[in-house]
Amino acid sequence: MSPPTSQGSPFDLVAAGTGRARESSATVEAPAAVPPGNPSVTALRERFPDGVLRNAVNAGDEDVVYIDSAHVVELLRWLHDAPDQQYDHLADVTAVDYGGGKPLEVVYQLWSIPHRRALRVKCELPLDGLEIESVTGIWAGANWLEREVFDLFGVDFAGHPDLRRILMPDNYAEGHPLRKDFPLRGRFSRAEQTRRALTQDPEDYYVPGEIGERVPQVIGADAEGDEGGDDVD
Amino acid sequence: MGVDNPGMSGSGSPTFLTTRLDFVVNWARRNSLWPMPFGTACCAIEMMASAASNFDLARFGMERMSFSPRQADVLICAGRVPYKLAPVLRRIWDQMMQPKWCISMGACASSGGVFDVYSMVQGIDTIVPVDVYIPGCPPRPEGLIYGLMMVQEKIRGESLANHAELRAEDPLAAGRPRADDGEVFDLTGPFGNSTHQNRVSGLVETDAVSRSEDRLP
Repeated sequence: MSPPTSQGSPFDLVAAGTGRARESSATVEAPAAVPPGNPSVTALRERFPDGVLRNAVNAGDEDVVYIDSAHVVELLRWLHDAPDQQYDHLADVTAVDYGGGKPLEVVYQLWSIPHRRALRVKCELPLDGLEIESVTGIWAGANWLEREVFDLFGVDFAGHPDLRRILMPDNYAEGHPLRKDFPLRGRFSRAEQTRRALTQDPEDYYVPGEIGERVPQVIGADAEGDEGGDDVD
Repeated sequence: MGVDNPGMSGSGSPTFLTTRLDFVVNWARRNSLWPMPFGTACCAIEMMASAASNFDLARFGMERMSFSPRQADVLICAGRVPYKLAPVLRRIWDQMMQPKWCISMGACASSGGVFDVYSMVQGIDTIVPVDVYIPGCPPRPEGLIYGLMMVQEKIRGESLANHAELRAEDPLAAGRPRADDGEVFDLTGPFGNSTHQNRVSGLVETDAVSRSEDRLP
């Protein structure tokens, strides 16, 4: 590589590892530099001084709260129930693996329909203890979202009613694909993957309640008697 | 005319009658190819465009899309097939009646395309036998029509004399991969776009510079 000259391109600075990029990241790193735009952040910090670890503002106006994983249900329950918060819509539960042994983050994207506010709650889990309390008791819609995080990242949600794979096949034995230590093409050979794929039965993906049992719809029938044409034998 | 060897005279050459019969049967078959659409991705949009009025697939004998595999003649697999969908594709192929043909439409169905990843079938010919591969990402409707006409050309060359040999099916092979291990290995050799696939996972040492402070906060 040729040494950077005074009229070199800005890429030379990046390649050399010095320059403005590093300076600017150092200035933004201070968490208190940007005040939170969402009043829920300060309310949450006052109410749970132990549960909230830190907060940050992303992309100008997106408030992020980092909370302790031991208090996740307590905090999110309060965010859901408190009249000033009312985060009644759980938009997403997902996770981020930054690789390099860094803790894995479970992310809750909340939206308050009455107050029209968005809040992102993050929870850091060490890679050797990927376990967190399930929030299906607060938002029923968290059921499949947490199954997806379990499937792709291997996070164990304690108290989840039906924690099994949702995207990958039931007999998938190669691990959790979105983890950074997962090789892009999987762990098995292509021949073994094809063979395993064809041994599965697609009807096994469903639990008996989802297919098979059909409740006949009765229109205009009263409770007792009158089992004429609606009975399916 | 023996049942085991229909239409073959003692010398082994087809007789006049069967060549004429072949012509009539092949004419009927190739001009009434009903497709079974197996559209999973953007190729299916082009397949719909081919069937719509501007390109009008029905001109060539693909009168309608047959959404029942039992009434279909040619399976058009349009789009990427993940491993979870592989048994479904295989089951649909097994449900189709003989004679049947298969078209692999687009790069993903033919080779996995850009999806050289853990979840994607690297070419549906590891699962079902394919007659015609159509390249493109996605192919234009003209491409699909040309591929179907290539199937028609293939039918033109078929003969009832070797029908049993051409169309033989092993019932025990239903649901088994069509390609053996070596063939799959050849298909998914060290090509593709992700030969450096292990770089991100850290399993392979590279000289790529990765610094955590370069990441935006």
